[in-house]
Amino acid sequence: MTAENREGPLNGIRVTDFTWVWAGPFCTLQLAHMGAEVIRIETTKRIDVLRMLPPWAEGQPGPNRAGYFNQYNQGKRSIQLDLTQPEGAELAKRIVAMSDIAVENFAAGVLERLGLGYEALRQVKPDIIMISLSGYGQTGPESTYVSYGPAQVPLAGLSTLTGYTDMDRPGHVGMSYGDPNAGLHGAFAVLAALWHRERTGRGQYIDMSQWESTMAVIGDAILGQSMNGEQPPLVGNRDPLMAPHGVFRCGPATGDLPPGVLPEDRWVSIACGSDDEWRRLCEAMGRPEVADDARFRTMAGRKANEDDLEGIVEEWTSQHDPFEVSEKLQQARVAAFPPLANFQLGEDPNLNAGGFFVEKEHPEVGIRKHAGIPWRMSETPCQVWRAAPTLGQDNDYVFGELLGRSAEEIGALKQRQVIF
Amino acid sequence: MAEQALAGLRVIECGSGVAAAYTAKLMADLGAEVVKVEEPSGDVSRRRGPFPGNEPHPDKSGLFLYLNCNKQGVTLNLRDPRGRELLRRLAEKADVLVHNYPPRQMAAVGLDYDSLREANPRLVMTSLSPFGQDGPYRDYKAYDLTVSCAGGWAWLNGWPGRPEMPPLKAYGQQTEYQSGATGAVVTMGALLHRLQNGAGQHIDVSGQECIAAEIEMTYTFWPYMRLTAVRWGQRPIQPVDFFQCKDGWIFVLCVEEEQWHRFVELMGSPEWTTWEVFANRLVRASNYDALRPFLEEWVSEWTVRDLYHAAQQRRIPFAPASTMADLLDSEHLKARGFFVEVAHPLAGKHKYAGAPYKLSGTPWAIRSPAPTLGQHNEAVFGGLLGLSGDELRSVREAGAL
Repeated sequence: MTAENREGPLNGIRVTDFTWVWAGPFCTLQLAHMGAEVIRIETTKRIDVLRMLPPWAEGQPGPNRAGYFNQYNQGKRSIQLDLTQPEGAELAKRIVAMSDIAVENFAAGVLERLGLGYEALRQVKPDIIMISLSGYGQTGPESTYVSYGPAQVPLAGLSTLTGYTDMDRPGHVGMSYGDPNAGLHGAFAVLAALWHRERTGRGQYIDMSQWESTMAVIGDAILGQSMNGEQPPLVGNRDPLMAPHGVFRCGPATGDLPPGVLPEDRWVSIACGSDDEWRRLCEAMGRPEVADDARFRTMAGRKANEDDLEGIVEEWTSQHDPFEVSEKLQQARVAAFPPLANFQLGEDPNLNAGGFFVEKEHPEVGIRKHAGIPWRMSETPCQVWRAAPTLGQDNDYVFGELLGRSAEEIGALKQRQVIF
Repeated sequence: MAEQALAGLRVIECGSGVAAAYTAKLMADLGAEVVKVEEPSGDVSRRRGPFPGNEPHPDKSGLFLYLNCNKQGVTLNLRDPRGRELLRRLAEKADVLVHNYPPRQMAAVGLDYDSLREANPRLVMTSLSPFGQDGPYRDYKAYDLTVSCAGGWAWLNGWPGRPEMPPLKAYGQQTEYQSGATGAVVTMGALLHRLQNGAGQHIDVSGQECIAAEIEMTYTFWPYMRLTAVRWGQRPIQPVDFFQCKDGWIFVLCVEEEQWHRFVELMGSPEWTTWEVFANRLVRASNYDALRPFLEEWVSEWTVRDLYHAAQQRRIPFAPASTMADLLDSEHLKARGFFVEVAHPLAGKHKYAGAPYKLSGTPWAIRSPAPTLGQHNEAVFGGLLGLSGDELRSVREAGAL
């Protein structure tokens, strides 16, 4: 396949991608989704952690069989290049010289030691836009600290904000949320810098800290601390302005379930933002009289009697199927939806209707149903042009077609293990 | 001040809550001129707080103040044709219009892309909605909780060891932040494309899809292994858990074996660490009930800060369970100048979360505090749109503002 298959507003933009694990690749994924040519620089010496983690296709390990890697590297190219050899670093510079953007998420200082820091890269490409995405940022006393996705959630404060009301310990948010959030913020910063370059001809360097970008999504709680010296109480699934607002138990599942799914693990979320919505909920529950119960008639009343309120709602939901409940409530214009498990996402009618899922042939694992692009553009439609690359899949294209090395030269580089 | 990256771009923001406001905030903080259009009742963020002294006031809500610095605020009654006409005239003069009105309300408030394009073919219109502009759930009603569930995120979170507790959403309006950040990324893509041929376009961002596209490896367990994702708490390796120190909680994390070995050294290599039941990260997970008490006892002797630094100096990736007070006190964040003081005429001077990124040539900056309701009606309708004093008075008296 060639670049002609790529579509989107960034077609023609090239990205040298030094990233690995999740935050950096999630940044370059956004650029690939919009048609940029993203060239991942990988090596077998220091293989991307995501290639080495489950899920594996059919449970068989292998660097090209990892679902985690294949999800977040769709539509990118991959070359194998040993950056620790001067010849390898030189080839990387040649790629950067043909790129608009360079993205990296090594620990602070690693690329400089390889001779590939921003100062070195701007020598070969004066208007390059380079972003470093790291856990702690490039400066400050903790800049060399080790950062892993699950630990960013508590570090940034989300663990003392998220939790059930009676929880006796910090909570979590169930995934390494700081990573994709940093990836999105990084992609935006890069494109803003690209906009500026298009107008002025000047590139620049961006220092991005995952810790800081995660705090950007809890700005209200930080402001509460500076205003009043306190942070918001744990509220579980409740909301200060809405009631009911929760995830309620439904009736047990009947029929076949995938292994590991408990029949009683069935829930539906319901949220009422106004008295009208509450009234419609009561009608849908077949209990219109509850709407006028003095305890529940106003939002203030429902908040003050929320335990009782939730008991009434759950008494109803627990006799029904979660999808029946949400369908019925949505017909009545009440916000409701079951918490979907992974196997249910793949079957969700809305996600399937809009062309969200991507089914592209991958050389080793064939067609898998991957989550795709969460937007549509009217003039520059975006689509994933190719599945995630196998390790080094694009060596010939990049070293041959792009850098103009002959087959003999590529052979010699392989022999010296500069490329693989 | 150095020039900002997006100086010269004009953005109109409509809607309520976090999503559209966050797209516009990201752009405003890098220099775009943003006109925030509120309905006369005001953005719901004005009611969310936190408020100074916990006294609710629509111009002093922390969420609103945080999201809307650097913006000009106007009010428009979009249920009134004169209000919609003024919105159309704003769109004529804009590069971007971002909004989060539900699809079924868009036409009624004047947000019809085809007619706005007629008025301004260069306009990039970005529509953020819970379920997208098409599809069977297009008109479903949704809040952050709803999208958290529909995107497969809430399912992943719970209370370790308490399976009877329901799936749990994350703090705040996180799904709206993710839609908003995605909206900003794609809007920039559309603006860059516009440089080629001058054509704007309509962008449709689905909140459900944004979340389904970012739930770590959990979704792919199904198409790759036919395994279901489990709620947070059932972990294949250990230690990955919270422990109580003298003065707070710390997240104890050893991903690689050499991190565990360095942790064992830090603990003074007690005899129990040589037991076979704790020999590697997998058996430590199977025998976690036996492991946890040892770690609990050892960790309880430390303060959070001492243990965090002692571990990190040995390259063990522990992290504090930071409170908001811890964040404001962090020496690292202070050294990086993360928090910025912003003075607001009514809410007072407070420390705000600052730059999520540092651009070397075109810095992130706060230039002005969030607007009070309708603060810039005259500046925008008089200045930008050129309405005379009489015209302004007449639309105001007609209830269009």
